[in-house]
Amino acid sequence: MTRTGSPRIVGYAALAAVGLIGALALRRPELAVAAAPFALILAIGLRTARDPGVSVEHALSTDRALEGAAIETLLEVAADRSVDRLEVLVELPAEVDVADGSRAHAVRLRAGERRELPLSVRCTRWGVFDVGRVEVRGRDALRLVTWEARFEQLHRIKAYPTPLTLQHLLAPLETQAFSGSEVARVKGDGVEYADIRDFVPGDRVRSINWRASARRQGLVVNERHPERNTDVVLFVDSFVDVRSGGVSVLDDAVRAAATLATRYLERRDRVGLVGFGGVLRWLHPGMGTTQRYRLIETMIETGVEPTYTWRDVNLIPARILPTASLVLGLSPLVDTRFVAALEDLRARRFDVAVVEVDPVPLVRPGSSETDSLAYRLWLLEREVVRARLVALRIGIGTWGDRDLDTVLEEVRTYRRYARLARA
Amino acid sequence: MTRGGEAFQEFGARVGTVALLALIAGIVLGWSPLIPVAVALAGGLYGAELAISEAPLDAAAAGVAAALLLCTELAYWSGEERTRWLGDAGDGLRRAAVVALLGVGAFLVAAILLALVDAVRARGLAVDLLGAVAAVTILATVLAASRGRRPTDGA
Repeated sequence: MTRTGSPRIVGYAALAAVGLIGALALRRPELAVAAAPFALILAIGLRTARDPGVSVEHALSTDRALEGAAIETLLEVAADRSVDRLEVLVELPAEVDVADGSRAHAVRLRAGERRELPLSVRCTRWGVFDVGRVEVRGRDALRLVTWEARFEQLHRIKAYPTPLTLQHLLAPLETQAFSGSEVARVKGDGVEYADIRDFVPGDRVRSINWRASARRQGLVVNERHPERNTDVVLFVDSFVDVRSGGVSVLDDAVRAAATLATRYLERRDRVGLVGFGGVLRWLHPGMGTTQRYRLIETMIETGVEPTYTWRDVNLIPARILPTASLVLGLSPLVDTRFVAALEDLRARRFDVAVVEVDPVPLVRPGSSETDSLAYRLWLLEREVVRARLVALRIGIGTWGDRDLDTVLEEVRTYRRYARLARA
Repeated sequence: MTRGGEAFQEFGARVGTVALLALIAGIVLGWSPLIPVAVALAGGLYGAELAISEAPLDAAAAGVAAALLLCTELAYWSGEERTRWLGDAGDGLRRAAVVALLGVGAFLVAAILLALVDAVRARGLAVDLLGAVAAVTILATVLAASRGRRPTDGA
């Protein structure tokens, strides 16, 4: 521990010196008598002060939790020698709050004593945070000498995004070859009725539609739509984040992406991820619980890395974007590079849909006339971008104060009518 | 101050006000160097009153010593409590008891010294030299203590 003197040392020494010099100058021993206690405290305090030899251990109950959930931590402090006042301060990242207890403790320890200081923390947003930096300051009984030390026993906390309520998902236009929960447009073995056709040798007797056969005077069999899985790639915009107060479009986009990933994986679909921004992150489509944790742990590392470099979809490996997959974009549609990437994907005949995480409520128009004009122009530019994407038959739902279900229903309706119009 | 004349009382009131303002500023703003300045002003006022009155040994010096020490300790303690710490139950009372004990100890030490001075009333070079040596020792202690931080074993 590092030893330092408190302000008392200089103050008491100055008062003792002033008293003694005053006594000499004025030839009044009373001033020396008044100064004597200060000198005596200095002499005794500096002589008897000893390094307390403090040790600190920090433990967490868990290193994974949902954002906003409390995580119990325990700080154990011990001292080799007695310390009259030991101040313990736990440093927390800006996104980690105290849920219960205090991060600043002052305790008194006897020689060899151990004390446990509980503290409950919570992460105010999803992400990865390091906790475990502790500053310790020990003071002697006369408060003349201070011993300070800094302990770093870092524990990494992963705060997962809070799942949103989502009843229905967006169905991709095409299905894949494996069994899943999405009714395919092709015909095969399944539950959903598709069509009837004439019986050919080899068809199962169970498939014969006896009523239709009676009407047609010949055997006809039912055809069905099989349930197949689909491929979904979540395309998250991390070029820019718009924040106001405690609300952030990137935070909301990642929460929506995590919810969508979980729900699609529950249906036995394959889900992949592309974090498209200053730092390009991707995850190959996969299935199951392992893929869910891989996706979420990749998402919580998403952050905005400012860059002016042009990015396009050529940088993404082809195997990350399987053909016939649904590319679901989550973006505030602020950066033109992301919009250009969506257009590029559509031009390559990918099935693209966009959830626009609305930044407009977070942006104030400004007080001057120029600011108001700039704000209105910005809104008009956003309308132009939306119109361009709709012209490419990309369904867009704006997610602001509505719930995600309503937004996806809007996209579903657009895609249904777009398909009918195409047909 | 009551033992001085009207002019001294007026001067004392001004110096006392400055000392009080310095003390309040030191506590409220957290400027700890103002605390010994305020206490030195108060002690200086007492010294000035002693010099003017030319009275024999003042018996109130022990009380003045205790009062100055208590004032200094309480002022520094206020500064340390600017940060809110979750402490053990009874921490405040314990510290108050320690400060009170320091005040009592200061009174006793000062009283004993006063009695010694009264008993061995000597004037001349020997006393002057003793005072000078004491002052130099104090200053040397300050220099040694404020030489800077030094890590101790296990830091």
